[in-house]
Amino acid sequence: MTRLFSQFKTILTLSWRNLWRNHRRTGIMLGAISVGVWAMIFMTALMRGMVDDMLNQGISNLPGHIQIQHPEFLDDPSVVNSIDEPRGDLLAALENNGVRVWANRIKVPAVIMSERESRGINLIGIEPVSEADISGVPARISKGRFLESNQDKGLVIGAKLAERLETRLGKRVVITSQDPDNNLAERGFRVIGIYRAELAAQEESNVYAARGTLQDLLKIEGRVSQIVLVDDDYRNVESLYRRVAAATPAGLEVKPWYEIDTYLAVMFNMMDGFVLIWVIIIFLALSFGLVNTLVMAIFERVREIGLIQALGMRPGLIVYQILLESLMLLLIGLIVGNMLALVTIKPLEDGLDVSVVAEGMAMMGAGSVIYPSLTLYDVVLANVVVILLGILTSILPAWRASRLDPVRALNTH
Amino acid sequence: MATKLANTNMAFSCRLALLLGLVSISSLLGAGDTEVLEPRELIRAAMEHWRGVTSYSEMTMIIHRSDWERSFSMQAWTEGDKLSLVRVTGPKRDAGNGTLVKEQNMWTFSPKINRILKVPSSMMNQSWMGSDFSNKDISKSTDIIDQYDHSLLKTETVDDHLLYTIESIPHEEAAVVWGREVTVIRDDFVMLRQEFWDQDDILVKEMNSTELKLMDGRVVASRLRMHKTETPDEWTEMIVDVVDFDVELGANLFTLSNLRNPRQ
Repeated sequence: MTRLFSQFKTILTLSWRNLWRNHRRTGIMLGAISVGVWAMIFMTALMRGMVDDMLNQGISNLPGHIQIQHPEFLDDPSVVNSIDEPRGDLLAALENNGVRVWANRIKVPAVIMSERESRGINLIGIEPVSEADISGVPARISKGRFLESNQDKGLVIGAKLAERLETRLGKRVVITSQDPDNNLAERGFRVIGIYRAELAAQEESNVYAARGTLQDLLKIEGRVSQIVLVDDDYRNVESLYRRVAAATPAGLEVKPWYEIDTYLAVMFNMMDGFVLIWVIIIFLALSFGLVNTLVMAIFERVREIGLIQALGMRPGLIVYQILLESLMLLLIGLIVGNMLALVTIKPLEDGLDVSVVAEGMAMMGAGSVIYPSLTLYDVVLANVVVILLGILTSILPAWRASRLDPVRALNTH
Repeated sequence: MATKLANTNMAFSCRLALLLGLVSISSLLGAGDTEVLEPRELIRAAMEHWRGVTSYSEMTMIIHRSDWERSFSMQAWTEGDKLSLVRVTGPKRDAGNGTLVKEQNMWTFSPKINRILKVPSSMMNQSWMGSDFSNKDISKSTDIIDQYDHSLLKTETVDDHLLYTIESIPHEEAAVVWGREVTVIRDDFVMLRQEFWDQDDILVKEMNSTELKLMDGRVVASRLRMHKTETPDEWTEMIVDVVDFDVELGANLFTLSNLRNPRQ
């Protein structure tokens, strides 16, 4: 036992000293590993942040984590495809089942007109109390106020839309839509609030009014387009979904966000795979450097290896020694890389402003500020991949070193 | 119908009636007591008189832009203020296009696609046949009169006629985008001018009767021009060539099948 330990100690010392024999080469390799690991973690955090943002925005646009609606509504969001406000079992399930927030919503296509312009919009009837938790629009009011009650007579429009209509806070606009019998439903509204959104397209298309006011306008007393539920975390809505689905009367459709917007779902599911591929690609680039370093180190020491073999060291120990050398190199690189990543990500957690490329980001559905999101999973993944694959790539040079013929090795140079 | 067409935007859908001078003001007002007259009552009375009146007219519509101009000739039938049918008779490539207005609903027919389309609410604000009139102008119903507060701004005497200038301010929830509308009506109910002001009190567009004629026993605004203040070289003019009042109209006139297959 002690012999094994002293053997290990000897090898450890040998490896450590060998590592620093050519400190410049080792330094460069360490730099490469550090930067590689930093890139893995930092870029992953940025991507996670971006995708989180896209998902959050996408979900608040739907809106909600779970929606209950007419089966035809998603394909044809017309006023005809409305449903009754929840009652009975469904109402009980919504009220008592630990649903964080739920709300009735109306959503119909409409036209908004000012004196000079008219534009097609989504007219959304909301319940002001719960809206902050659903779409977050109340928090983004830049002028005026948000709707205050279910019977509020005002209208909240986006800043971009106000600009297009050449109207502004306090002026009247006309909303035109259709009631379920295809008759014209129109009314004047005063603009009581202007909101800003990350995406200009949203500002232009979403117009908010109070739910009760719209029910009067569209002649759909007691009916709504959707019932929207928000749970604590969008990643984990399965159980709520099942409970609500069980309480929903036949003829209505219950859908979680990942079924409503499959693009978001794909993005969400792809992310883990994407991170793994990203880490492996960086590692592949790194591995060439790593193998090269080891091969060089061995090439320089052919005579020496021949000598210690001739003195009686078993080939297995040579493999260990070289692997240990590689492991130490990787570990130091990882430590530096992780620290580097931590040091660069922490200050950016309040948001990295990329408004220079805001337009491109908007096209992707992301905002112009990225909030890097560092997750333990990604850090562990990067480290594990580097160590495992690093050792794996080191095996070949180490094995070749252990196969050297001592006689020939002693005779080179 | 000229009426109906002219029935631009807004305030009085009975504009046609007003334009064509269907109402005799003398029956409304005693000679001397014009000051007593409520502007709203004036308009309402005019509409009452117009109810049930039928007309057939032939008109020319000229759409003028800075770099081009085109004109249509058309026939129009109206009954009261809720029913009207317009059919384009020329130029040849547009002949046959028709518009039917029934209450607040509107349909168009185009022989090229041989199809009737109901004009959806989303298209109400779009231009009618490329003119400066919107679909809404053409189809607006008289209900709108209740959506304004009317007040008499002034009366003046010009060429032996009394001119009433009426200001109409839409109610808070009225489906009207204007801040106010100002209408000048002559005492024989010919509408001379209508102005549309935005909510910052800037004049956006106006309609003027540039020619009055005695036709079929009534004074009619035979030439009407609609134009936006910001683009003075873009306008649409409606010219009434022929008008007959109190004509017999077939029961099938204001129907979708007649819109598609003209039988009158």
